[in-house]
Amino acid sequence: MVVKTPQSKATAEKPATAEELARRLHEIGEAGLAVFPVGGGRAAEMGDPPVRDCIELRTTALDRVLEHSQADMVVSVEAGITLEALQAELAKSGQFLPLDPFNSPGHTIGGLLATGWAGPLRLRYGSPRDFLIGIRVALPDGRLATAGGRVVKNVSGYDLMKLHYGALGTLGVIVAASFKVFPKPLQDVTVESTHESMVDAWVASERALAMPMPPAAVELFSNGRVLARFLGSPDATKRMVADLGWKTVDAAAWDLHSKAAPARWARIAMPRHQLRSIVDNLGAGEQWWASPGTGIANWDVAGGADDVRAVRTAAGAAGGSVVLLAGPSEFRHDAGAWGTPPATLHLMRRLRSAFDPNHVINPGRFVV
Amino acid sequence: MPLDKAVLEELRRAVGREHVIDSSNDLRIFERDASIEGAVPDAVVLPANTAEVSSVIRVAAKHRIPVVLRGAGTGLSGGAVTVRGGIALQVTRMRRILEIDPIAQTALVEPGVVNQELSLAAASHRLFYAPDPSSQKACTIGGNAAENSGGPHCLYYGVTTNHVLGMEVVFADGSVQWVSGDAPERVGLDLCGVLVGSEGTLCAITKIKVRLLRMPPSVATLLAAFPTIEAASQAVSAVIAAGIVPAALEMMDQVCVGAVEAHYHAGYPTDAGAVLLAEVDGIPESTVELMAAVRSVLAQNQGYAMREAQSPVERDLLWAGRKGAIGALGRIKPNYYLHDGVVPRSKLPQILSAVGEIGTHYKLPVANVFHAGDGNLHPNILFDLRERDVLPQVESAGEEMLRAVVELGGALSGEHGIGLEKSAFMPWVYSPDDLDAMRRVKDAFDAHGIMNPGKIFPDPDRKHAQLAGRTGLAIEAKWW
Repeated sequence: MVVKTPQSKATAEKPATAEELARRLHEIGEAGLAVFPVGGGRAAEMGDPPVRDCIELRTTALDRVLEHSQADMVVSVEAGITLEALQAELAKSGQFLPLDPFNSPGHTIGGLLATGWAGPLRLRYGSPRDFLIGIRVALPDGRLATAGGRVVKNVSGYDLMKLHYGALGTLGVIVAASFKVFPKPLQDVTVESTHESMVDAWVASERALAMPMPPAAVELFSNGRVLARFLGSPDATKRMVADLGWKTVDAAAWDLHSKAAPARWARIAMPRHQLRSIVDNLGAGEQWWASPGTGIANWDVAGGADDVRAVRTAAGAAGGSVVLLAGPSEFRHDAGAWGTPPATLHLMRRLRSAFDPNHVINPGRFVV
Repeated sequence: MPLDKAVLEELRRAVGREHVIDSSNDLRIFERDASIEGAVPDAVVLPANTAEVSSVIRVAAKHRIPVVLRGAGTGLSGGAVTVRGGIALQVTRMRRILEIDPIAQTALVEPGVVNQELSLAAASHRLFYAPDPSSQKACTIGGNAAENSGGPHCLYYGVTTNHVLGMEVVFADGSVQWVSGDAPERVGLDLCGVLVGSEGTLCAITKIKVRLLRMPPSVATLLAAFPTIEAASQAVSAVIAAGIVPAALEMMDQVCVGAVEAHYHAGYPTDAGAVLLAEVDGIPESTVELMAAVRSVLAQNQGYAMREAQSPVERDLLWAGRKGAIGALGRIKPNYYLHDGVVPRSKLPQILSAVGEIGTHYKLPVANVFHAGDGNLHPNILFDLRERDVLPQVESAGEEMLRAVVELGGALSGEHGIGLEKSAFMPWVYSPDDLDAMRRVKDAFDAHGIMNPGKIFPDPDRKHAQLAGRTGLAIEAKWW
């Protein structure tokens, strides 16, 4: 019935409704057990290994589009729908959610919100933090609570969307969400340049970022490749591509890129202009890719926990962080998934206690 | 209830004798914000820096005295009104722009910095601060962050929360902390995200780090007339549905246009049922293409007399009319009452006819000037406070308008906040469990309830919704 690792199917439950999920969450907690919420399982190794046995609580039966109001460009979905299924629904009316996470396909919306994973398009559109307009969560006391709404602008009550986003479910299991969606751009052009030296590659990416119509995404790879994406009206994108003078490549490059998922995966997040100094110091043999415009790098850690800790110290000193997104349990345990907790930890603990006092959800996995 | 002499003495020690106001005549100045309810504070305290804010809050915490933050007092929901008495903590002495970093494209400001001053200061670097409330010449960045304010250009650029990178805040126990910062990710819960828009009920904001944006190289602004407000609403939906997200898409009805034109002479067509102000920006190629697309959609939806600003001066005049519209309404009646409910864009025609009918029913003129692209209404109910018994009528009309907004699947406020004014209506939108979740957050930050008490949460002892709405109506209708 209960095992140590959260991967076993034998301990999984798949509630058919949000109400059932909330009820089971409550019952499991009352029984003194814990849950490990799972959507697509694409981020199952994020965070520290759970400190107690967990029952997997799967959201994948909650996979409906609740409402897509095309004219309002707003969509409400259950948490277990995959990103691909949602995009297919939105594409019918020429719309999309500007979210392109790594380790795709197969992410669920709930999983993406709980982990806060975003991809290259964050440069232009921001993360779901910016376009999540409503949320519904199941609480450990069995209640369902909603915040926000289904309009694109809303200051009615506390913005609890922000608290749940990236909280790994520790304040409640996300069961539904509403988003502001976007029209598909008239033109979508991808260009590439490759460089022998990383110095040239950094210069090239900064040049792309400084274009008068900035690209929607710029990705820099540790092999000297730079990929840029321009979205916009036809004449405008045409001029940017001509001015930049890079080789046009197939947009499928982004699909391929979105599959990236290092086995030992660390996310470096820095004030934008501090990113390069941290990445430059990773070492010549290290594999990584970065979004120089947002200040994020994804690092395929070749070494061990000591290497992570060293980079984390440097990153922290420059105002950034290093968080583990994947890796074997012992690696995550040794390096620590999160690093030094922030000075506001006591407040975060108070918030967690207000919603999940017994740490029923993901015990020991998150910062609080 | 006047504060104890010993408490006043502690406050004077915290900020200096001359920065504590406690004479009843002077206190009356701080009775109101730009909403219609007022309450006189027991003391007004004007700190000069974070340490003084912290000291004042420590005094308040010790004596369990309410603390109400106040910037320019331009808020429209009663957020700065000391409804339970206590201390009005006026931050307007904290008005320094501490840093503009043109490389990182950020600014660090104190809470009393006026919104427009920041954009003016950033202009020499070809940068600007995007959230632009109509009160931007007066309102403060601190107030904007507390209310999560919007503005016309938020349609494309997003509201305040999308532009705040981090804040230095003082919590209810007087402790000072930074939440978030320059890095794109934080470790742990996003406290900054929930503190922005918390209306002074969770913390005091003492420094704000904001993102600045590069000024677009090219801007095009179009004024278009429509025979009716419904036709203009339909055109707004059509623009967005065509996949165009302009930088701004604003509407004014005939009442408003008449007042604005008399005041500003901006060339607004006074015979039109409504006008739209549409702006696109970017590189010249994209503004040309986008403006052509906007014109075409508007023309297909009964738009006429379209006029594009030919110079920055003309553009500024068109915007002066829009942003000064509410002031211009003083030509019709001396007072106004303004709600800012939001409906799904496609429901604009329905809500605008409902608003019109409610105005007619109460025999009160209503002028609409609003962020149409976001579905964010601003019906101004015009009245003369000197008329006997008019205020309850005005409030009832406002309540009915908000009720109609909620019944169309909308939200109580898009950018003004719940404050004092709309707290009684929160149960229309949120179930007891939803409100309980918000209450837990409040208690986690402010266990003794000293930070801006009486706001956001319904207070059954004070104010009831007149319309006997079913609790959680929206939840029964949809999934929330």
